[in-house]
Amino acid sequence: MASADSETGRGTPEAIPQAVKIIVAGGFGAGKTTLVASVSEITPLSTEEVMTEASYGVDDLGGVESKSTTTVALDFGRITINDDIVLYLFGTPGQDRFWFMWDELAAGALGAVVLADTRRLDTCFHAVDFFERQGLPFVVAVNRFDGSEPYEAAEVREALDIPAAVPVVMADARDRDSCRDVLVELVTHVIRSRSPAMTG
Amino acid sequence: MRGDGAHARPMVGHVPDPPSTVGPRFPEPPTAADEETERFLRPYAVDAGTADRPTDDPVEHEDDLDMLTLLVAARLPGEREVLRPERETILLRAVRARTLAELAAELRLPFSQVRSIVAHMIADGSLQRCGPSRPLERQDILHAVLVGLRSL
Repeated sequence: MASADSETGRGTPEAIPQAVKIIVAGGFGAGKTTLVASVSEITPLSTEEVMTEASYGVDDLGGVESKSTTTVALDFGRITINDDIVLYLFGTPGQDRFWFMWDELAAGALGAVVLADTRRLDTCFHAVDFFERQGLPFVVAVNRFDGSEPYEAAEVREALDIPAAVPVVMADARDRDSCRDVLVELVTHVIRSRSPAMTG
Repeated sequence: MRGDGAHARPMVGHVPDPPSTVGPRFPEPPTAADEETERFLRPYAVDAGTADRPTDDPVEHEDDLDMLTLLVAARLPGEREVLRPERETILLRAVRARTLAELAAELRLPFSQVRSIVAHMIADGSLQRCGPSRPLERQDILHAVLVGLRSL
């Protein structure tokens, strides 16, 4: 079916894909933008909101080495799945003051990735809490930074008090294959977590 | 009662709400007497495209628009866009269906502001919202996304 469209496909106004999204959350500097950039087919775009110079001296950069760019607002990337579906990856604003944007971001999302920075695990508590409350399926991806302690997934799970059903995976946000695996893990988890609800 | 002249246009996103008066969200259409004061607009304000229309037209779409709302231009830019580069850009970009998030990023304007402009453009028929050509069930989407991601 899809192949019939593929010739004329994306250039024609008739072929309008379904836009779906996955949320990439985590603390400030956890590597969300890096992850999005690793798998996106486009250079990540950013919707601008008013927050640039004001961040100096306000954002807590303790423990975040050499982070030269700040996620000003919402960075997002895109993956064309097929002629019918385009997947958008939205990085959440890392700063607490943008908390109000999360509701809108999470609405209708397929699922979420919580990127954990083991140097500052506490920064992703918010995200874990939020997605649990929303009932949005998520996985925790432990971003392995150079110089960070080599924690085991089990230790992170315990530290964050993650239920057994939620996958915790190790990842490297800079590595495309690694990020792809995280997303595959997430979508597999979403499908799995939907199955019981559908059968009974 | 109407606000003062500087607040007479709905510069959405920049103008504070008028002091708790009852009545419509937007002020009434300008009268000739207002025209004098209404010229004092901040030069950097991007209007939502209402300057040539009565300002209390309902903008009923705005709240329904989210990041992934797909939009397609209903026409090419014309004379109406001569002094409105934002609208011109939107119409040019949306020749193919675009998400609101992409339009906002390309315009380099705050999302809320672009959403407001787009809402007005939908209201005046310049833009159309569009749904997917082949609406899919959630489960089918998930399976397709899984297949697509694995083949990355």
